[in-house]
Amino acid sequence: MFRAGNDPKIIGAKSLCLKYFCSTLADKEHQITPDLASTMSAKASTVTGGDAHTQVPQSEAGADRPEKSSPWLIVWAGLSISLPLLLLYIYSCSPQTLQFGQLELKQILGNQDIDAMLAELDEKEPADAGANHLSGSTTTANSTDTPLIVGESVPFLANNSNNNFTLPPYELPVFADTTKHRILLIGDSESGGLRYPLNDYCLANGHKIILSLEWYSATTFNFGRSDTIQKIIAKYKPTYIFLVFGLNELYARDLKARKIAANQLAKKLRGIPYAWIGPANWEEDNGINRVFQSSADSATYFMTKKLTLTRASDGRHPDTKGYRIWMDSIAGWIQTSARYKMLMKPPRKRGRPFRAPVITINAAKYRGY
Amino acid sequence: MQPNTVDTNWLNQIFAPLHDPKTWESAFGYSTKEPWFFTEFSFLAVFGVFLVFYAALVQKNTWRKIYLISFSLFFYYKSSGPFLGLFALMIVSDYLFALAIEKQQGIKKKLLLWLSLSYSLSFLLYFKYANFFIHNCNGLLGTQFTDHDLFLPIGISFYTFQSISYLMDVYRKEIPATRNVSDYAFYMTFFPHLVAGPIVRAKDFLPQIFTPQIINATLYKESLLRILTGLLKKLFIADYLGKYVDIVHELPANFSGAENVLAMYAYSFQIYFDFSGYSDIAIGIALMLGYRLKENFDNPYASSNITIFWRKWHISLSSWLRDYIYIPLGGNRKGEFNTYLFLMITMLVGGFWHGADWRFIFWGLAHGLALAFHKAWMQLSPSKSNPGYSRVFGTILTFHFVAFCWIFFRATSFGSAFASIEQIAFHTQWKDFVGFWVSRQEMGIMMLVAAFIAFFPPTLKERIFQKTQLLPAFSWILWVLIALQIIIQFKDDVVQPFIYFQF
Repeated sequence: MFRAGNDPKIIGAKSLCLKYFCSTLADKEHQITPDLASTMSAKASTVTGGDAHTQVPQSEAGADRPEKSSPWLIVWAGLSISLPLLLLYIYSCSPQTLQFGQLELKQILGNQDIDAMLAELDEKEPADAGANHLSGSTTTANSTDTPLIVGESVPFLANNSNNNFTLPPYELPVFADTTKHRILLIGDSESGGLRYPLNDYCLANGHKIILSLEWYSATTFNFGRSDTIQKIIAKYKPTYIFLVFGLNELYARDLKARKIAANQLAKKLRGIPYAWIGPANWEEDNGINRVFQSSADSATYFMTKKLTLTRASDGRHPDTKGYRIWMDSIAGWIQTSARYKMLMKPPRKRGRPFRAPVITINAAKYRGY
Repeated sequence: MQPNTVDTNWLNQIFAPLHDPKTWESAFGYSTKEPWFFTEFSFLAVFGVFLVFYAALVQKNTWRKIYLISFSLFFYYKSSGPFLGLFALMIVSDYLFALAIEKQQGIKKKLLLWLSLSYSLSFLLYFKYANFFIHNCNGLLGTQFTDHDLFLPIGISFYTFQSISYLMDVYRKEIPATRNVSDYAFYMTFFPHLVAGPIVRAKDFLPQIFTPQIINATLYKESLLRILTGLLKKLFIADYLGKYVDIVHELPANFSGAENVLAMYAYSFQIYFDFSGYSDIAIGIALMLGYRLKENFDNPYASSNITIFWRKWHISLSSWLRDYIYIPLGGNRKGEFNTYLFLMITMLVGGFWHGADWRFIFWGLAHGLALAFHKAWMQLSPSKSNPGYSRVFGTILTFHFVAFCWIFFRATSFGSAFASIEQIAFHTQWKDFVGFWVSRQEMGIMMLVAAFIAFFPPTLKERIFQKTQLLPAFSWILWVLIALQIIIQFKDDVVQPFIYFQF
């Protein structure tokens, strides 16, 4: 162990820098020797309150050194703390993030005003004129009747290189509130629970779930940055989309990045009626609900976090009863105050078998972008 | 946007906060939502600027003192707001009490000491424990007292203990009472130790007011290294582990035994890295200003028995408890039974000091019992030799005892603590550990890293610290940048709240 003054051999073995260190620390007047070793290993002497008042021999190298604190060094100390923070702050103002291969350098968000950030990002990405990409030829839909497709084996999802995928045109029928819909359910693990009560409602009201995409562990990034949703829409041609996710993002604080992704997602949905169902919060989030709400078109976002739902044994996912309560609230909202209304009368019979195809993907294995 | 033009509009955003009155309001105002701590980036930025001006005053003792006191008061205002007045009142009255105690003799002196101690303690008792006593009184006697809506002034537990140590030291004539109120104010308000310790003794600190450390390149590197390691310990390791601990401890009964065991370990490391990291930052900041605070942690988890553990864990508190409670009570001079009794009382106070809850009292009691048991064991055990394997066994046992007690420290209630223990005792299966590793590999790796550092041989640590001295002073700005980016990189990392892959 290195203890200045006790073992000159060790001091000698170290470089000039260390010599300088020992000598400048020697405070002749006051006999205070704050050597590094005693700091690092505050032995029992510290506990008993005893000070290691060892005297450090004045080495030749340090004899002509000034015995005063160097103001320039303190200025440098201040700068070496503030300048990196300033750099990081400037970086956090930049709309672009630096990437080193897979690694994306994150930005500090600090105490940013979420509302201001949301408003500002919305200004930057003005709402497009709507469904200009949806007009065109007519294609009738033919949903496959495969009961379950697992992520990696979905042929049309596998090609991940084409990021500029555009939706092939298809015509949406004219809607009335009583239109029978072809429903596409997209979401994270919550959609796996919600699909059963939704199915009950659909069967009771003449709608049909054409596909349930369950993207486990997925976040806004998966939905927003990937073209998976467009591909699925192109293939299954739904007339109404249920979107439910966000439970994986309650603790998220990098809201700026998520907001950008949520805007991308909202763009993809434009033209097709949709209901964006917020995550079933088990506790207050860090603002992800506000991000979703601001990205969704007006009156298309259903704020689930206000509901009190019964939970499964994990304490987070709703249980069967919780999903039913949740779906009942959604149904009431869709019939009355949603932007895209549809018939959603309560079903007489519940718990009917779910027969639509289900695609399950795991975000840990398939990121999509 | 054209592909060739670069959008530079965002550069204007950099200066946008300067034009926003909200920025200035939050910079100088006090908000309960954003109290200042060392780990706040806003504090660090201000501290950097503060240092630049400090450089101009470093040679002038008086100005330096005034500058430091005013910044400390501002710091306290930022974290506690109006309680600054209370703090100032306490400083002035303690200063006067100490002078009076020094002048008096005999019974008057003793009375004055008791008066001053009860005066200092009354603030702590009121703000921290009033509601606890009201609750228990209502529960036991069926009374109907209503709760007081109390906000605990930040750091009150620490500075009350500090003022008690000062008054007692003056009474015991270990130090003279300060003649100048500014000296005492400087000692009490010095912002590195103000909010969460270490509890500084007047006799260690007051001499430094007149003879601060020489700030040279070595000190600069050492202090910056302390700050950086502290930040990484707190914001990178402890906070990351904390995300998992929070998830489990919200509803321990919903998690498997294995997950509860791992949450117990994770919390043990979290609390160590959290607090020792904080102490590192405090010591580093004080060092950068030219003042050396005592160490607060010394590889506590590597202790081979509980007595050594308490010599190495939160040293400033444990030594305070020893010097101002255990020894004044009688220590080990009043017979064997009394020694054990005093030990228990001391640890009870220590537990209660951590918070007004029965869980902390229980925690203190458990540690007191363990200390007493160890003392008895040492007297009974005939062999004084300490072979390697018994040290290893002792270390493992001590760590597990401490970790087990932390459950009560962390749990939200007794019920939740017992739920966690029940899961550990009856529902721990090997396959769940495998499941944990498969689904939470990052957390597992972080726990292994934390364990490695916590049980790391201190000599190796020293060697690494010495090596960092070889890095040139100008390069440190880069290390700061890298450390901060690492923290940012992991800060917002959402830890999946579920053990299951399928979510």
